[in-house]
Amino acid sequence: MFVLRFLVRRLLQGVVIVFLVSALIFTLLRVVPGDPVRLMAGGMAPEALIEEIATEMGLRDPIPVQFARYIGGVFRGDFGQSFVRPASGAAVGGASFDDSTRGERARVLTLIAETAPMTIQLALLAMVFALMIALPIGIAGGLNPGRWPDRMALYLSSIFVSLPNFWLGIVLALVVSVKWQLVPSIGYHGFAYTILPAFVLAIEIAPFLIRTLTVSVSGVMAQNFIDIARVRGLSWGQIVFRHALKNASVPLLNLLGVQFSMLLGGVLVIEFIFDYPGLGLLTINAVMQRDFPLIQGIAIITAAAFVLINIVVDLAATAIDPRLDY
Amino acid sequence: METATQTDPVLRVEGLSVAAGERAVLSDISFDLHPREILAVIGESGSGKTVLARALASWLADPLRVTGGKILFRGKDLVKDPALARRLAGREIAYVGGNPAGALDPTMTVGAQLVEKLRAVRPDISSAEAKRKAIQLLDAVRIPAAAKRFEEYPFQYSGGMMQRAMIVDALISDPPLLIADNITQPLDVTVAAQILKLMRDLNHQFSTAVLFICSSLPVACDASDRVMVLNQGRVAEMQPPAALIRDPQSGYTRKLIAELPRLWDETTHAPAEERGAPVPVLSIRDVAKAYRIRRRGEAGLSVVQAVRNVSFDVYQGDNFGVVGESGCGKSSLMRLLTGLERPDHGEIVFDGADVGSAPASKLREMRRKFQLVLQDPYGSLPPQWPIGKILEEPLKIHGIGSAAERRERARSVMNEVGLPDGYYNHLTGGLSAGQRQRLNVARAMILEPRLLIMDETLSALDQTEQGKLLDLFERLQAQHGFTYIFISHDLTMVRRVCSRIAVMYLGEVVEVAPNERLFFDPGHPYSRALLSAAPTLEDRRYRPEDCLLEGEPPSPIDLPPGCAFASRCPHAFDRCRRENPVLVNRGGRALAACFLNEPASASLENAHA
Amino acid sequence: MSVTDISPAADRVAAAQTVSSRIWRLAFASIEFRIGLVVFILLVLAAALYPEISGIDPTKLSVREKLIPPLFMGETWTWKHPLGTDQLGRDMLSRSLVGLRYSLLIGVATTVLMLLVGAIVGLLSGYYGGRVDMVLMRLTDAQLAIPMIILAITILGVSRPTIPSIILVLGLAGWPVYARVMRSTVMSESKKEYVRGAIVLGATNMRIMFLLILPLVLPPMAFVAVLDIARMMIFESVLGFIGLGVQPPTPTFGNIIADGRKYIMNAWWIATMPGAFLVVTLTSINLMGAALERARNKVYGGA
Repeated sequence: MFVLRFLVRRLLQGVVIVFLVSALIFTLLRVVPGDPVRLMAGGMAPEALIEEIATEMGLRDPIPVQFARYIGGVFRGDFGQSFVRPASGAAVGGASFDDSTRGERARVLTLIAETAPMTIQLALLAMVFALMIALPIGIAGGLNPGRWPDRMALYLSSIFVSLPNFWLGIVLALVVSVKWQLVPSIGYHGFAYTILPAFVLAIEIAPFLIRTLTVSVSGVMAQNFIDIARVRGLSWGQIVFRHALKNASVPLLNLLGVQFSMLLGGVLVIEFIFDYPGLGLLTINAVMQRDFPLIQGIAIITAAAFVLINIVVDLAATAIDPRLDY
Repeated sequence: METATQTDPVLRVEGLSVAAGERAVLSDISFDLHPREILAVIGESGSGKTVLARALASWLADPLRVTGGKILFRGKDLVKDPALARRLAGREIAYVGGNPAGALDPTMTVGAQLVEKLRAVRPDISSAEAKRKAIQLLDAVRIPAAAKRFEEYPFQYSGGMMQRAMIVDALISDPPLLIADNITQPLDVTVAAQILKLMRDLNHQFSTAVLFICSSLPVACDASDRVMVLNQGRVAEMQPPAALIRDPQSGYTRKLIAELPRLWDETTHAPAEERGAPVPVLSIRDVAKAYRIRRRGEAGLSVVQAVRNVSFDVYQGDNFGVVGESGCGKSSLMRLLTGLERPDHGEIVFDGADVGSAPASKLREMRRKFQLVLQDPYGSLPPQWPIGKILEEPLKIHGIGSAAERRERARSVMNEVGLPDGYYNHLTGGLSAGQRQRLNVARAMILEPRLLIMDETLSALDQTEQGKLLDLFERLQAQHGFTYIFISHDLTMVRRVCSRIAVMYLGEVVEVAPNERLFFDPGHPYSRALLSAAPTLEDRRYRPEDCLLEGEPPSPIDLPPGCAFASRCPHAFDRCRRENPVLVNRGGRALAACFLNEPASASLENAHA
Repeated sequence: MSVTDISPAADRVAAAQTVSSRIWRLAFASIEFRIGLVVFILLVLAAALYPEISGIDPTKLSVREKLIPPLFMGETWTWKHPLGTDQLGRDMLSRSLVGLRYSLLIGVATTVLMLLVGAIVGLLSGYYGGRVDMVLMRLTDAQLAIPMIILAITILGVSRPTIPSIILVLGLAGWPVYARVMRSTVMSESKKEYVRGAIVLGATNMRIMFLLILPLVLPPMAFVAVLDIARMMIFESVLGFIGLGVQPPTPTFGNIIADGRKYIMNAWWIATMPGAFLVVTLTSINLMGAALERARNKVYGGA
């Protein structure tokens, strides 16, 4: 029952957040310079034609009117159609400005639905790698504050966090894929193509996990109940694995919630470098092509994902630590 | 050795010495502890009593280490054999600390942790058996609905209940030795008294030997068979309580006994009530404040009635006391009196204006005339400010004087409260608790207010320092004509300084009486219970057996109809559960809210019952 | 009472310093911080002086000197171009150093902007609570819900990237985390007794917020913001890499690497050397930042 009420409250809050996000993105796209119709129609198109297309598409209406129309569509599950991408096959070139059959252009939702699973696969694998790296280093550091495992955690996380993801991607692709030919990396022709991008992403996330883990584990280990547990007769293993790690996992969960956007940012760049056909590549292309409906759609979907992930994180945190109120 | 039993000692300590680095913390401690015996260890802070407790529990952390002597547990030396000591910890030698709030993992149920602990030291016991035993013991320490409480989390337990749970945790493995380190320290007096009684009962029932560490001589004497007095890491003396009080051997013990405040000593100087014509400085009428809180896992908001229909007057030059245990609403009342919060209804008239409804700017102006001195000497001063700046801040806020005048004023106030002049540019970090409270007082009085509200101002200080500050308050009152309101949980303190005292219970004032009257003829059963639980060596006027309360105060969220105290009152009858008594004058300006003070109706109801 | 007051004298001396100076001292005492500081100072000096002193123009083309590998690599290496040259014969070292200037400028400016906006939003939100808090926090959540990079490339992608617009966009995209941290610190701080004491003395809300609370809580946050300078420098280079950063011919790490990527198979150093340079810079900053963060945690944990 309480969970249900919590869900309802948080989902309502989430709707507000997503609404704000879409209003923000929508307005931004329309106030910053850069006319998408010009790009769609191509540089050669006469001014009058551009105006005609723009008016027909409703791009010359006042922004609130455009937004109301758009958000109405979103509520019906209609995120509109891409300005430039065809429903299938080759990209609609700039030359074909007389081609006004917009019905053939891809639906935003379809584009997102096609690419999202790829990105989720990449993100999950990256998460697994990141945890594999961060858990041993972070926990060892937290259990031995001031001693060498702690220093190692500090140095390693400082170095990891200093590696720009795109550079590391290039270097690893050069060394691992080209020189050593261990795993393939450019494009996507099977699961193996996810490994290297996921690893690069993991290196980007790991330092934050390591830092949070060392701080939270050492913080929990300094608490009274851990100290007293020894006098109560519990063994070291019980103390660390049943109590300390459980308590220390809550900040880690919260980190995952807050750093979700960082993860997505990383995904974007890495997909771009590895030419990995996910949401990130879609986003960059959408921006380059000034494909407003697609940018809006991606922003709304990612905001919604952020909201949902944070709800899940809070639910999980409450399950671990019942003191946290819903 | 004078002991009740002829058996071998459970614990024999011989010449134990502990040092922190090069500095000796304990020197040459020797004693025996027999089964069923309770040995109290008392001493001031820094006397090494906690170190002793930890040394015995094999729980010394750097830089502390044992430098000499033996700890013989059933004849085996734990100092020589740390592995054995570790095996015994929690199983044969149990430890209960003074901070029950943080003693268990907050993310697991109390029951699961009791079972975990028992099975960690006794792997041969099955989970089901461990659970049965845990519930049985929870029941034995009088935790209501033990089977249900077994499934609850530590944060759902109150402080007193948590301490009982920790006692269960210690006793669940049937240890022959229990080390109880300051176990009553954070608890309210009435709850602490229950815990002590419980500990004695359990000691008889399970024949556990108890080493009872505490910092209060009266508590130690109440609780134990023998008392060991520690002074600066050495045993000052060791005697049974009666002998210790009658005939203390060491000068240190004599000093401790002499310093103890007395509640009923006829010679105690109690400030005379009202000096001159009674002019109310502060008039409180029907003040009430409720908070709306969202309760865990429940729909909507619950209403906590923190202060309910409180009325009293404070007169010019008065020392008015407000006493009660934690959760009684005295802090909420303080926030209302100082205008930090607005009452839901009622009036707080100070100097002809209502604090409760004054607009913000008017209130800010009024604040010059009434000031608050807060409880926590560490949290109440702005961190990282030099002392001079702290003192000049109130003057700056109210735009008083030039920079030079403010500086002058700050120096003179420092002088008045006894802070050395050279501290003007110091940060507060190096000050002792007592000095900090002096600084707090100085900051409050620099605006020359009429009324000073002292919220637990002295409770963080030790006996000696309290005495000095009380003298300071008295001197300042004589010089500046302050009126004081003391908000406190400490009966001995209000007994010493207050002319009139209000007793609060669950948001209500249940009794208001002049000092002598309250202590010699209390008009409310709750006042009597408080007095019976007060830590003192004197012969009690109110026997704990007659007055001691069962259970803990009900939650202020769902208050029962009728008298809020009825659920714990030994004298409650039907009417108490239906109707809430109001303050009635008992003559001599003493008021109490209890039907027992209306002889006619009380006997009538009793006849019905 | 407790075992912890064994050395009251030492504690008191420590407590008598302000928290900020304790954090500084503690951080400065650590080897990580010193290593980071030395490397960082050397790099900054090089970035400030080398391009002018050596007289090598980072944008000067020289077809004769194109694709020279770094020191000791290949056969054509020369001391004149320690990091080699690119496909147009431009000196990689001076290009990297000029890139470092922009990178640092943008990193520091962005972080300061983030810190300021975040601190003020968090301060208001945490101090007033209630409705103010609700509105500000929903805004913060909304901002946090859009991945920073998406917001940044969207704005910069459809408008023209210039240095001020990059700073503005990154700064405005990054403040929510600070706002959240600030809010929670201010909330716990404003529940403390000294704030209550100030109210009772008659201080106004503005006075309490800006003279009492802010000076206390801002420095510890600012120390840790050092880490974000590095993070923002990475963001800047990411933008440059995608082509949305400072535009060529001005060299930045991002656009150098993006450029060099095309020649990666036959001139690997164009893409990797500036990156290695950036990594060294970032590591030095991150070491200092991490040491400061640790010192802060230690000071607060032990206080």
